[in-house]
Amino acid sequence: MRRAALLILAMLPGLAACGRALELDAEIDISHVVGSEPLRLDEGQYRNAAGEAFTVQRLRYYLSLPRLRRADGSWFEPQHPAESADAYHLVDEAKAESRRLRITGLPAGKYVGIEFLLGVDDARNHAGAQTGALDPARGMFWTWKSGYIFLVLEGTSPQSPASGGRYSYHVGGGEPSLARRIYLPFGERPIRVEERVKPTVHLAVDVGALLSAVNPVRIAQLPEAMDPVAARPLADNAAAMFRVDHLHHEPRRRGGG
Amino acid sequence: MRRRAVILLPLIVVVLLFAANGVLRQRLADAVESFPTPRPAVPPGWPAPRYDFSANPVTASGFELGRRLFHDPRLSRDGSISCASCHQQFAAFAHLDHRVSHGLNGANGTRNAPPLFNLAWQPELMWDGAIHNLELQPLAPLGNPVEMGETLEGVLPKLRADAGYRRRFEAAFGPGEIDSRRMLLALTQFVGTLHSADSRYDRDELSAQEREGLALFRQHCASCHREPLFTDYSYRGNGLDADSADLGRSVISGKAEDRGRFKVPSLRNVAVSAPYMHDGRFDTLAQVLRHYASGIQDSAALDPALRGGLSLNPEQQQALVAFLESLTDEAFLQDDRYAEPLP
Repeated sequence: MRRAALLILAMLPGLAACGRALELDAEIDISHVVGSEPLRLDEGQYRNAAGEAFTVQRLRYYLSLPRLRRADGSWFEPQHPAESADAYHLVDEAKAESRRLRITGLPAGKYVGIEFLLGVDDARNHAGAQTGALDPARGMFWTWKSGYIFLVLEGTSPQSPASGGRYSYHVGGGEPSLARRIYLPFGERPIRVEERVKPTVHLAVDVGALLSAVNPVRIAQLPEAMDPVAARPLADNAAAMFRVDHLHHEPRRRGGG
Repeated sequence: MRRRAVILLPLIVVVLLFAANGVLRQRLADAVESFPTPRPAVPPGWPAPRYDFSANPVTASGFELGRRLFHDPRLSRDGSISCASCHQQFAAFAHLDHRVSHGLNGANGTRNAPPLFNLAWQPELMWDGAIHNLELQPLAPLGNPVEMGETLEGVLPKLRADAGYRRRFEAAFGPGEIDSRRMLLALTQFVGTLHSADSRYDRDELSAQEREGLALFRQHCASCHREPLFTDYSYRGNGLDADSADLGRSVISGKAEDRGRFKVPSLRNVAVSAPYMHDGRFDTLAQVLRHYASGIQDSAALDPALRGGLSLNPEQQQALVAFLESLTDEAFLQDDRYAEPLP
């Protein structure tokens, strides 16, 4: 009897590993660009559609609640514990590791596109003290008025009338919310999630589009956007920042990874 | 068998008190110090509170930790200002004699520090309703450069470096790092259980003049200062200025008509929490009533109920003041469990 129990105990890690092996993952890698140039914080000199020169000192935003679409139109949505902030990802150009996110627990199959929320959904935006990416200590929470800052873009421009030639755009809040759902199809070819194949989706995120896609922004006229009314044109531009640059498939190392 | 238990039990208690690990000892000390620990409670006839304590259950250690954080000036950038600096128990946790409060380096705020009690019922916090959730409220004064001028990145290392706080956080929340959530939950356990529901009004011990005042109150004031919380938590203009310098609720709502509108404050403990109004312009209740009787300024923000002022003669005003004084909850003001803790 005891020996049987020991035997089962000994097998447990193996069983668990079997369970894990079926849960695959896909990786999303993000590169920031301005038009056709790579984004370099502080150093890069860029021009917006209005011809204004600018630099970027800070770029941060929330990518939340990612889900993958199957060819039949159904969705894979990662499941997370109710309290956790695992479905919220804070991308920060200054932190290389933040530009890579993994979607885990993925069933094998083909997926034709990805959707996520740029920002934080109303439920979490109005909830109490949170952890992880939603920890207010991350500096993306307005303390004088409850709510997350969905996107921060700050830098300098000789055209800015603000002190130090600075410009600061903080997009967040709003009724209706300035958070934006963004769907990106993978194009001709779906990604393949298989036991031996791991896909990586490379996204190119264009800061230039944030300043010009739908509503051209002139830094000379808008050196600061810190409330939902001023930031709404930027939120409407934000969806156009994202595109799928290319896809990769690599052999998956045995045992997940 | 039973005899052995009789010998063992006190022994176990002694072992727990003196030999057990610091966390267990801390929990015992917290239970003693806060005894009986204030718990979320709904007095008969009161509405359901808005803050849900089920996700943040109050414990003796959580409450005691919150009390310490509330009274600790190290939460400010230069260690000079605690929450209690501007929220004094004898003033029902308002700031007595201060129209506005002074924070870091003597800088002045722009609005009167409100009293703190029955906060679990507030749908939104602050004069303009800027804060949605009680747990997040402490972040506003913590980060305001004219209040405590600190950041979470600044304050958390101070707490983590303190062995006493490390023990207290573990006693309250179990093993794990001190993070912003635990700090905010502990503060919420303290400020969320500042219960005031034991005035002479609540005990139905009013004098004849106070009763007369209550009748007038129900006739003229209770539509906004709704019993039993003595506020309906709406945002209204009460005719202080024809053109309000403070944008008030409109900063949050984005609506022009909310300019100069502020949250209707509760009137519990109002006699001890002077000065009055969002900018603390009135020092006495008599001045407040004179304003409502004869000082109302018209504006787009003015509440229709106040247009033309309230018709209250001087005796009626006196009766109303007498009634408002009956809303003072002495037991709350003197409750040692809310006082600055011993070091």
